[in-house]
Amino acid sequence: MTVSPAGSSVPRIEGPLKVSGIATYTSDFNFPGLLYAVPVCATIGSGTIAGLDTSVAGSMPGVQAVYHRANIGRIYRSAPDEGLGTHLDERRPPFEDDVIRYYGQYVAAAVADTYEQAIAAANAVKVTYDAKEPDVRDQLEPEGQPNLDGERGDPDAAFDSAPVKIDQTYSTPVETHNPIELHASVAVWDGQDFTLYETTQGVVNHRDVAAEMLGVPKERVRVISRFLGSGFGGKLFPWPHSFIAAAAARDLNRPVKLVVSRDMMFQNVGHRPRTQQRIRLGAGSDGKLVALMHDSLNHTSILDDYQENCSEATPYSYSTPNFRATSGLARRNVGTPTSMRGPGAVPGLYALESAMDELAIALGIDPVELRLRNEPNKDEGLDLPFSSRHLVECLAVGAKRFGWSGRDPRVGSMRKNGLILGWGVAGCSWIAERFAAQVAVDLRDDGSARVATATQDIGTGTYTVLANVVSEKTGIPANKIEVVLGDTNLPPGPISGGSMVTASVIPAVSQAIESAQQRILMAAIETEGTPFYGLEADALAFSGGIVHRKNEGPERGMAFEKILAKAKARSTSGLGKAEATFGSEDRKFSQHSFGAQFAEVTWQPEIARLRVSRVVTVIDAGRIINPKPARNQIEGSVVMGVGMALLEATEYDARFGAPINNNLADYMVATNADAPQIEVTFLDYPDRVLNDMGARGVGEIGLAGIAAAITAAVYHATGVRVRNLPVRLEELLA
Amino acid sequence: MRPTEVFAPAEPPADGQSARKNQLAVTLRVNGESVALQIDPRTTLLDCLRETMRLTGTKKGCDHGQCGACTVHVNGRRVNSCLTFAVMHQGDDITTIEGLGRPGSLHPVQAAFLEHDAYQCGYCTPGQIMSAAALLEEPCGATDADVKEAMSGNICRCGAYPNIVSAIQDVRSER
Amino acid sequence: MEMFAFSEAAGVEDAIRAGAESGTAQQGARVRFVAGGTTLLDLMKLDVERPLAVVDINGLPLDTVTKLTDGRLKIGALVRNSDLAYHPDVRSNYAVLSQALLSGASAQLRNMATTGGNLLQRTRCMYFRNRALPCNKREPGSGCSAIEGENRSLAILGTSAHCIATNPSDMNVALTALGAVIQIEGTAGKREVPIEAFFFEPGDTPERENVLDPGDLVTSVTLPPPPQNCSQVYLKLRDRASYEFALASAAIVASVDNGTFSYIRVALGGVASKPWRSLEAEEQLYDQPVDEASFRRAADAALAGARPQSRNGFKIELAKRCIVHALGVATAS
Repeated sequence: MTVSPAGSSVPRIEGPLKVSGIATYTSDFNFPGLLYAVPVCATIGSGTIAGLDTSVAGSMPGVQAVYHRANIGRIYRSAPDEGLGTHLDERRPPFEDDVIRYYGQYVAAAVADTYEQAIAAANAVKVTYDAKEPDVRDQLEPEGQPNLDGERGDPDAAFDSAPVKIDQTYSTPVETHNPIELHASVAVWDGQDFTLYETTQGVVNHRDVAAEMLGVPKERVRVISRFLGSGFGGKLFPWPHSFIAAAAARDLNRPVKLVVSRDMMFQNVGHRPRTQQRIRLGAGSDGKLVALMHDSLNHTSILDDYQENCSEATPYSYSTPNFRATSGLARRNVGTPTSMRGPGAVPGLYALESAMDELAIALGIDPVELRLRNEPNKDEGLDLPFSSRHLVECLAVGAKRFGWSGRDPRVGSMRKNGLILGWGVAGCSWIAERFAAQVAVDLRDDGSARVATATQDIGTGTYTVLANVVSEKTGIPANKIEVVLGDTNLPPGPISGGSMVTASVIPAVSQAIESAQQRILMAAIETEGTPFYGLEADALAFSGGIVHRKNEGPERGMAFEKILAKAKARSTSGLGKAEATFGSEDRKFSQHSFGAQFAEVTWQPEIARLRVSRVVTVIDAGRIINPKPARNQIEGSVVMGVGMALLEATEYDARFGAPINNNLADYMVATNADAPQIEVTFLDYPDRVLNDMGARGVGEIGLAGIAAAITAAVYHATGVRVRNLPVRLEELLA
Repeated sequence: MRPTEVFAPAEPPADGQSARKNQLAVTLRVNGESVALQIDPRTTLLDCLRETMRLTGTKKGCDHGQCGACTVHVNGRRVNSCLTFAVMHQGDDITTIEGLGRPGSLHPVQAAFLEHDAYQCGYCTPGQIMSAAALLEEPCGATDADVKEAMSGNICRCGAYPNIVSAIQDVRSER
Repeated sequence: MEMFAFSEAAGVEDAIRAGAESGTAQQGARVRFVAGGTTLLDLMKLDVERPLAVVDINGLPLDTVTKLTDGRLKIGALVRNSDLAYHPDVRSNYAVLSQALLSGASAQLRNMATTGGNLLQRTRCMYFRNRALPCNKREPGSGCSAIEGENRSLAILGTSAHCIATNPSDMNVALTALGAVIQIEGTAGKREVPIEAFFFEPGDTPERENVLDPGDLVTSVTLPPPPQNCSQVYLKLRDRASYEFALASAAIVASVDNGTFSYIRVALGGVASKPWRSLEAEEQLYDQPVDEASFRRAADAALAGARPQSRNGFKIELAKRCIVHALGVATAS
C-alpha cells in the first residue's frame, strides 16, 4: 500500500487536470442559450448620471437587453453582519442610484447573443454626466478622530525621553490583486433556482449574500467554484458584477456569462488601499525599545468603511513597555478596497520592519541582533503566552543560510561581479486561527474515501492537503481519496482567506473520520459473517483502514471495505464540525506564525539597474502537511514581494479619478526574469493548540517581510531609504 | 482580393436570430482536426477557441497580449491568440493545450510541470506549458537566465516561476 | 469593437486599392491593413482604432530577407520580428537590430509582429489608450492629458505643447542607427523614404505620425551594406527585467581608428516622440578620443534639448547614463 501521509511531498491530486487544460474555471462554463453580458463603466470619478441613452445599443444585432437603474429590477442590500458572517465589501447593489462615486462604476450592462455583439452594444450606450471634481489624492488625512487600537504604558513620555528615536512615515500605494483569472460569473436561472458559477474564495458566503441581494431563500441559490484562478483576497467577497449577471439571467430566463475585463479589475473588484503610517520608535543605547507608536491611515471608498488594520501585528512583534496604535480612514473617490494577501500585516510590517532597520542603523547595531534584543517572552498586547513562537530561530537559521555574518554594514561597500550588493532583513508574522468548518467523510466499500466540504482550492493546494490529512488519519492511499470542494451543496466550509483553511478543516476531518469509522464498527458487531459479530463496539479499534480487536493487532482484523461489503453498505458517512477560533473572546494563547526574510539586491548605478538577486526565507508555521505546495506558496509570496517592493502601484489620475495604468503592461507585476534565487526553510514545530496535527497556513506570511527586507537592502546598496513604495529607479539616480 | 463576404449572411439564418448576420466562413485546423465555422470577423482566435469551439483550456487573462495565458501554437510557433482574428487563420495548423497531451499521455512538458509543482492555481498554466513546449524548438540559451527571459511573456501571478524554470530545464536536459 | 468588413488582399496592388478608400492612413483611418495584429487588435479592443474595413495582408509575398547585389539587406514588411532577430545575416552584420528586437515584447509577440507593423507601432501613452479621456493624437483638439498627468514613461525629446507621446519601438531605434530606408508602394507608385524622414514630430498635428497616405503600403525596409569594422550595441533600461517598454534605450554603431571615433551613429529610444537620431551626440564624438569624458560630452549634447515633464525629468539623467554605458560597451576592447 502506498500511503501518502502528511509531511511527504506528493504531486497535487488535481495536477493532471491543470496541466492538460481540463480543470474547469468559472468562465469555462457554457450552457445552451448562453448570453454574454458586458458592463458599461462610468467615465467620470464623481458626479451624477445626467442622461443614459440605450436606443442605439438596444437595437444592435443580437442584443437581448441593456440594463441600467430603471430596468434592472430590485437588487436588495445585504444587511451588515458581525465579523465575516454574510459579508461583502462593496455593499451598494449595482445601479442603485445615479450617483457616481468612483471612476469605472457600473452604470449599465449590455446582454447579447455573442461576446462581440455585447461589447459593441456596451460601447454604444450613450451616457452623459454632471461631473464633479473627484478626490483621489495620495496624501491621507484622518476623517474625524483616529481609533485607538491598543495602548500600554505612557508611550509619549517614554518616546520623548528615549536616547535614540526614529520618527518616520511610510506609505504603500494602491495595489491591485491582478490574479490572472479575470473575475467572472456564469448565472443560470431555471425559473425557480439560481446556479451561480463564481470566481469566489468563499462559495458559502457568496451564496448567503446572493440570496439576500436577489431576494430569494438560501436554498434557491447554489454557488459553484470548482477551480479558482487565484484571488489573493480579491475574490473573498462578492462584487457587483455577480448580481448583474444573476438579475439578467432571471429576467431573460437564459444563462448569462459576465467576464470582468482586465481594466475593470482595477476599478470594480477591490484593491489594497493606500496606506500612510507614522512609526515612532524610542530605544535605549542598548537597543531595547522603550516606546513604539504606530499611527496608520488608509483610504476607503465613499460609501464603505474598509479598515486595513496596519498595526495588526505590531502589539506582539517586539517587547516594549510603552505602546500605542491608532488608525483612521480617509475617504476617496475610489472603488471599495478589500483584503489583499496579508491584509494589515503586509503594509504594516513593511513600515514597522523598515523602522526597525532604521533604528538598527541609528544605534549601530546589527539589524538581526536588534530584533533578538527585543524578543518578547509573551504577547504583550494580549498579555497571553504564544502558542508557538520561534522567531529567534528563524532569524538565526536565516542568517546562517544567507551568509549574514559576511555582511559589511557600510553603504555600497559590498560588491560581486562588478555589481554593488545590498543586504537586508525583516521579520514577518501572520495570524494562526481557525474558521468554523464542516466536513463529510465517506468510507466506501471499494476501499476508497470521499471527503467533501464547501471550501475551495484557490491554488494553495487544499484539494491535496485534504487528501493528505484523510490518508494519514485512515491509512487509505491518497490516490483512493476523492476530494470534492467548491459547491454550496456540500457541508459548509470556510472562506479561503487568512491562510486558515488547512488549520480549520483538520479538526472537522478528524471528527468526520471518527464518526464514519464508528459506524463501521457498529456495522461490524451487528453483521453476521464478520469476525466481530456480537462484540461490543468499544472492544474494537480501527488502525490503518483495518478493524480489529483492541487486544489484538490489525493483522488479525478485517479491512473496513470488507465489513461494508458484508453489511451490504456502499459507504458510511461521517460529518465533522469544528468551531472557529477567529474572533473568539475566550483564548488562552496568542496564535501566530513567524518568519525571517533576508534579501540581496544588486545595484548598477551606471545604468540605474536594480534587481533582487537572492532571498532566503525561514518560516515557523507549525507542521507542514505537504511541503511541495507549501514551499511554492512562500516562493510565490517572495515573487509577489519583488513586485510590491519595486514595481506595483495603481496610479489614479487626479483630474479624472481614473486608475490610469489599468492593464498588465502599465501596472507591472514580476515576470519570470524578475524572480530572484529563492530559498525556503520550514522549521516544522507542530502547534497543537490550533489543531491535532499542529498545522498552520502559509498563504500570506511570505509576503509580510519581503518588502521591508528589500528596501533595507536597497538602502545598504545605495544609501537611499525609500519610505514610499514602490522603489522607483529615479529615487536612486541622484 | 477574396470577395468581401461581410455584410451578407454567409448562410441562411438557422434560428432566425440576428446572431448569424455578418458572419464569415472559415475552416480552422485545430489539434489536427478541421472544423468549418461561421464566425464574426471580430472574433479573436482566443474567443473562437473558447466560446465557439468550447476548447476552454486556453485562457483569457488580459485580452491585450500582456500576460500570455492565451498562448497557443500556430504552425508550430507560440503566439498570443487574443491578438489575432480567427478569420485570419484559414489553413493554419493550430495547437492548443488540449492537443498537446491528455492525462495518461502527457507531453513531457506537462509531465514536468506536474512533477515540479510548476503552478498553483493552474490558470496561467496552459499558456505557460504551450510557451515552454514551443521554447524547446527555439534558439534559447542553456542557462536558467535564458529560460527566464524566454518565459517572461507568461505572467504567473502565483509566482511559481522557480518551479516553471526547473520543469523546463528538466525536459531540456532529457533531450 | 464595431463591425468591419474583412478581406484578404490578393496582391500588393489589391491592398493599395483597398487602402486608398481610407480618408487617411493616420489616426482615424477607415481602412487598416492587418499583419501580425499585435498593435491593431490591441487598439481596436480599446476602440482607439475603429476601422470600417480590415484588409489582411499576410498572404502578400513580403516575408523574405534578401541580400541585394549591392550589399544592402532587404527585409520584407511581413518578416516576423523573431525571424528577423534570428536571421543569420542580421545576427552577424546588424547585431544592434537583433539585440533591439529581442529586447522587445515577448517571444509570442515577436512571433506575430512584423517589420512593417513594428515600424508603425503606436505610442503607449495611457491617455491615448483611454478613449474616455482627452488626447490630441486620438481626438485632435481635445487637449493633451499627459502633460499634467501621469507622464513618467513619456517623451522628453521632440515633443510639443500638444503631445508628449513616446515612440515605443525598440526596432525603430536600431533601424535609425543603421540608417534604414523604408520602401513604400502607393497609388502614385513606389517611393523610398529614409527612416529619419519617415516619422514626424507631433508639432500641432500629433495625429499625423508619419509620411503614409491612404493606400500606402510599407513593402520593405532596406539596410545599407553592413557597417565595416563597427561594433554595435543596443542597451535598454527599464523597471522590470523583461517584457516592458524602454524608459530609455540607446543604439550605437561605432568604429574606432587609432583611439578615436571614425564612425559613429547614436539613436535613442523611450525618450522621444520618434526614433531619435542624435546628431548632437555624434558630432561630439567624431575624431574624439574613446574615453568617458567624450561619452559624457556626447550624452550631455544629446539631452541638451530635452524638455522634462512633471514626472519624467529623471529620464534626462537615465538617458545620459544609457548613452555613456552603451558607448563604453561598444568600444570596450
